[in-house]
Amino acid sequence: MSDKKGILVVAEVGQDRLANVTLESITRARELAPEMGGPVSAVIIGSGVAALGAQAAAYGAERVYLVDDPQVATFQSGLFTDAAVAAIKAADPALVLFSTSADGRDVAAACAARLGTGLLVDITGLELRDGNLVATHPCFGGSLIAEKQASGDLVMATVRPSSFARSEAPVTAETVPLSVDFSPTSLLAKVTDVVCENLGLISLEEATIIVSGGRGVGGPEGFKVIEELAEVLGAAVGASRAAVDAGWKHHQYQVGQTGKTVSPQLYIACGISGSIQHRAGMQTSRYIVAINKDPDAPIFQFADFGVVGDLFEVVPRLTEEIRRRKTGA
Amino acid sequence: MNIIVCVKQVVDTEAEKRLDPTSWRLDRTVPNILNPYDEYAVEEALKLKEQHGGQVTVLCMGPEGAADDVRKALAMGADDAVLISDAALAGSDVMGTAYALAEALKTMSYDLIIFGNRSTDGETGCVPAAVAELLGRPFLSTLSKMESDGTTLKVHRETDLGYVAYDCPLPAVVSVAKGINEPRYPTMKGILGAKKKPLEVKDVAALGLDISKIGLGGAKTKVLSARTAPPRTAGTKIEDDGSSAQKIADFLAAEKLL
Repeated sequence: MSDKKGILVVAEVGQDRLANVTLESITRARELAPEMGGPVSAVIIGSGVAALGAQAAAYGAERVYLVDDPQVATFQSGLFTDAAVAAIKAADPALVLFSTSADGRDVAAACAARLGTGLLVDITGLELRDGNLVATHPCFGGSLIAEKQASGDLVMATVRPSSFARSEAPVTAETVPLSVDFSPTSLLAKVTDVVCENLGLISLEEATIIVSGGRGVGGPEGFKVIEELAEVLGAAVGASRAAVDAGWKHHQYQVGQTGKTVSPQLYIACGISGSIQHRAGMQTSRYIVAINKDPDAPIFQFADFGVVGDLFEVVPRLTEEIRRRKTGA
Repeated sequence: MNIIVCVKQVVDTEAEKRLDPTSWRLDRTVPNILNPYDEYAVEEALKLKEQHGGQVTVLCMGPEGAADDVRKALAMGADDAVLISDAALAGSDVMGTAYALAEALKTMSYDLIIFGNRSTDGETGCVPAAVAELLGRPFLSTLSKMESDGTTLKVHRETDLGYVAYDCPLPAVVSVAKGINEPRYPTMKGILGAKKKPLEVKDVAALGLDISKIGLGGAKTKVLSARTAPPRTAGTKIEDDGSSAQKIADFLAAEKLL
């Protein structure tokens, strides 16, 4: 029997806070910990991140490893991998949870390769069955749900945002500062500039509500009504492949098979027909609302609430209606 | 400058994907294409070759039929290709795939290895980072811009907020994002020429791969079961008569979404 115990969450640091997916992973780890044995710990990697330890503790991380170093002020995959591996060696856990994000994938894959473990990618569920960890993974855009298991006494997984509920359960955490000897290879790539053009932007993966526009939006200026609805809802803005390929929106806004996979509570599709490749990126949304002129658009076959109508009439009225209800006017 | 572009054959993005109900492996009898993200990788390699000279080699792991899609990369302008193909590789997971690719890459000479960000079928996006780690090379992913003077890379890595710029000496491993360039269409001359370009098929024995690390048997992750997701069904559908905005708001309020 292995003496590896507990769960380590490799935190993702957002704009001066831990990303929701990290808090969700800590919450789920806390629920699994009694049966798995061993503590829930988190590692926070960055510069000036010591204060974030309190946030991890508020959600139940009993031990917080801190790699607080100017060299990791900005993400760099080699250095972050060295830091995560140092934390894995210190915590000696049975399970390591990363986030399914660009940074999370890079670090998880490198850690798994370095330590020779299996890697479960983009899981949306995790449970213990007869003492074995079983992960749920939606494949092919959520059209199939696979149950997967990893062999070995150390398992790594990346967790899709919004898969687990998050709840606070404050503990007094033990803080463990780690100093990391970065490898010569990891030090080769140097950060020369950090450009933030979209400060305050709500990321698609973390959004609770997404308002998306497609071909029916008609042009870049047509996205104005989409953005206004998103603003009143506190939602992120998305776009279909048609809108991105037409050059109306940058591809980072794209939802679908060649864009982002999202699972918000609410997805409002405006002028989007609902092709297979778009559906693959959003069909795990909790609720789908569709507004489209074409009564035969495939999106109506799987929308919870569909309106056959002109989005340029319906969306602005919806924005006004929601603003009115929110302000109690 | 010698560049290796790693590509994958994937199921057509417009086709319904299925798993074989006994092996839980992807049914590849449906129409296949070159992974759309890999076209950006090929284009980026060709642009660098145009500047610096050298060789662009395509490396693919897949069934023998994947040669058809490897030819597309050759038709775009790559010089030659290696296809790692062997029944023993079928069912390899992320780490098995990364191991096989890394072992093949160790036998090749390169200044730069370029991947597409992820595949549109497996969608893990984890193979490039794992390969870089196994090769002991620096790794930069999700690139929206790449330049090189032949010895160093200057790149932009996309973030939600903008981008981070990095400098990195070669040799290195990178993955590129959609939109980094506009992939060229193969010309008729390119398509005809691709048929004559060298495409070497290597099996497990030729690469000396450790059987315990590859294929379904060597996979450290196993699919226990797979089921079709409960189909989403159509809910309420109304014609806009001027009151639909209110009705949507009522629906959102009833589901506690406001």
